[in-house]
Amino acid sequence: MQDKKILEVKHLSKKFGQTDVLKDIDGTVKSGQVICVIGPSGAGKSTFLRCLNLLEKPTSGEVNFEGTDLTNVDDKHLVNLRERMGMVFQSFNLFPNMTVLENLKLAPVRVKHLSDEEAEKTAMHLLGLVGLKEKAHVYPSSLSGGQQQRVAIARALAMNPEVMLFDEPTSALDPEMVGEVLEVMQKLANEGMTMVVVTHEMGFAKEVADEVWFMADGYILEKGKPEELFDNPQNERAKDFIGKIIQNV
Amino acid sequence: MKKSIKAIIQVIIMITALFTLTAWQASSASAADNSLQRVKQRGELIMVTSPDYPPYEFQVNKGGKSRIVGMDIDVAKKVARDLHVKLVIKSMNFDSLLVAIQTGKADMAIGGINPTATRRQSVDFSKIYYSGGQSFLINSSDVNKYKSVKNLKGATIGAQTGTLQYGLAKKKIPNSTVKGMDKSTDLVLALKTHKIDALGIEKPSAEAYVKNDPSLKMISSGYHLNKNEVGAAIAFKKGSNSLVNAVNKSIDQIKQQHLTDQYLASAGKYMKVNTVNTSMWHYWTYFAKGVEFTILISIVATFFGVLIGVVLALMRFSKQKWIRGLAISYTEFIRGTPLMVQVMFVYFGIGVVVNIPALISGMIAVSLNSGAYVAEIIRGGINSVAKGQTEAAESLGLSKSDMMRFVVLPQAFKNIWPALGNEFISLIKESSIVSIIGVTDLIYQLNIVRADTYRGVIPIFVAMVLYFIMTFALTRLLNHYEGKMKHAG
Repeated sequence: MQDKKILEVKHLSKKFGQTDVLKDIDGTVKSGQVICVIGPSGAGKSTFLRCLNLLEKPTSGEVNFEGTDLTNVDDKHLVNLRERMGMVFQSFNLFPNMTVLENLKLAPVRVKHLSDEEAEKTAMHLLGLVGLKEKAHVYPSSLSGGQQQRVAIARALAMNPEVMLFDEPTSALDPEMVGEVLEVMQKLANEGMTMVVVTHEMGFAKEVADEVWFMADGYILEKGKPEELFDNPQNERAKDFIGKIIQNV
Repeated sequence: MKKSIKAIIQVIIMITALFTLTAWQASSASAADNSLQRVKQRGELIMVTSPDYPPYEFQVNKGGKSRIVGMDIDVAKKVARDLHVKLVIKSMNFDSLLVAIQTGKADMAIGGINPTATRRQSVDFSKIYYSGGQSFLINSSDVNKYKSVKNLKGATIGAQTGTLQYGLAKKKIPNSTVKGMDKSTDLVLALKTHKIDALGIEKPSAEAYVKNDPSLKMISSGYHLNKNEVGAAIAFKKGSNSLVNAVNKSIDQIKQQHLTDQYLASAGKYMKVNTVNTSMWHYWTYFAKGVEFTILISIVATFFGVLIGVVLALMRFSKQKWIRGLAISYTEFIRGTPLMVQVMFVYFGIGVVVNIPALISGMIAVSLNSGAYVAEIIRGGINSVAKGQTEAAESLGLSKSDMMRFVVLPQAFKNIWPALGNEFISLIKESSIVSIIGVTDLIYQLNIVRADTYRGVIPIFVAMVLYFIMTFALTRLLNHYEGKMKHAG
């Protein structure tokens, strides 16, 4: 079970106009794995993550999700596959016109056709998981950034996804709120959720990740277990990057 | 660049198609003369008139009900009686009378129309039933200045647009400036406020004003005219010989029995009754009816305008090129033409193919017009919704339509609410244009009250206040909902 491939990327590249943002990327995410993607800004980390659920359309290459190449399916099929990949954004992107509970219920009711009661039961359970049960009936605008991001995680979980994609989930948060979000993510990882996390939180990467991918200039330059990559990086760019971060800390 | 040329070509094709369709319908309709037969089969004689020209035709308030009376109406009643059919009266601007019979909106037009040679080219006329003669109204204070027509040299002269008086003043008074307006009531007001020096008008009409308003005097025109330029006749669509002949029989009787004298006398009586109570309270039912229709049109047009607007806005986001092109062409075309022209096109133009009543025509035109503007507002609103919102919806596996319905449109509407409110408010005001095809909205009723009371300014003021009350109430309502939406996020 541990070896089941959830995501497999082959020769993935992406151009924006004339600029190559991703160049010939390969990588495999197995069931239950937590992958942290690190690297300097402009490395293409977010673009890479967004290519995994085809929010960005790759210029060439394959993105296989449970054996299906996403770059090769029609729109309808893509929608079906997407619902099984949860995504959490840097800017939360909660729907401001709905209450927290409605945010959580919308997709399960409309996409999975759950009954209202079923969806509500799951939603309340997940809100409990992220510690925000009492906020079920408020609008997102009255929540703090950390609370909003926890709701966003719960919303993605409500679709019961195979894999969760996190796009710098703590970058837009005030420092004092980073902890509560990381804590929820750690809990998820401990429960065996497959996760791909683009992050600048090196502490989190070190502690939670099964594998760390270092990206720069549109390439994955180094992959390794966190202790290897942080303590003994092989690639020059990786050495440089990790050296700078440790200096700053 | 290429795109815009394509859009223009699409629009041109659309218009040509519509035009040929209506033109073809129009020509085929006049092929055979069954005009009399049609009237008899229907059992109704439909006449159209512009009831702001006492004593020929004007509206009176009798027992709280508005009626069109006057010499012309009595003539038409006699004609209908002789044909053994019911008379149906439609009213609209003088400008539109001949168009209305050409497009089959009515069987005949009557309204002190002089059967000039130019008009004979486009319509048929009955025999002349009355010869009034031309005259000028002046202010009493100017009696010494303008003793006769000769003194009017170089003066500013007013006349109703599209009337014989307008053309005559231009031709026969040397160095004069001629100002045209739609309504004789506006012209009288312009005269009284010295915006014009004299007003070219038919003699019976001038006499009516002089009788009712001591500040006005009449001078004879002294024009030497042939009888076609002083007489009034009934106009028909070209090729209506059978109907014209039947009507001429009635006119012969009218002339033999000098019936117009009786008709004028009874019209005069109405005018006297009319001047007894000219307070605005006395006319509140008129204004109420106007407000009712203005609100009715606005509500209907708002509803369909938003519906059309949403559809057009969504078409703009379609993957199909031709659907996008269609929406763009529609919006550009509607925004590029005046509402007034659209109203007339729907009523007279489309009316040739399918006969749509004036009220419905007005509603259709205003809705179609508003839809184009609402579409642009909604498109802006959709674009204003943050990209992260659609990405979040996509990542949850929501379909495109669910995404629009639950995520994008609710937020878009909240963002555009003030702009949309603006559109609704201008809708109330702009719907007034439907008065030109005779829909009894507030502006139309306002003109009737003015014609009826010989008071130029007060009715305008009342209408102004009424419009303001309507728009202000709407503003409060919109603000209320805006506040509610703010609360919700």
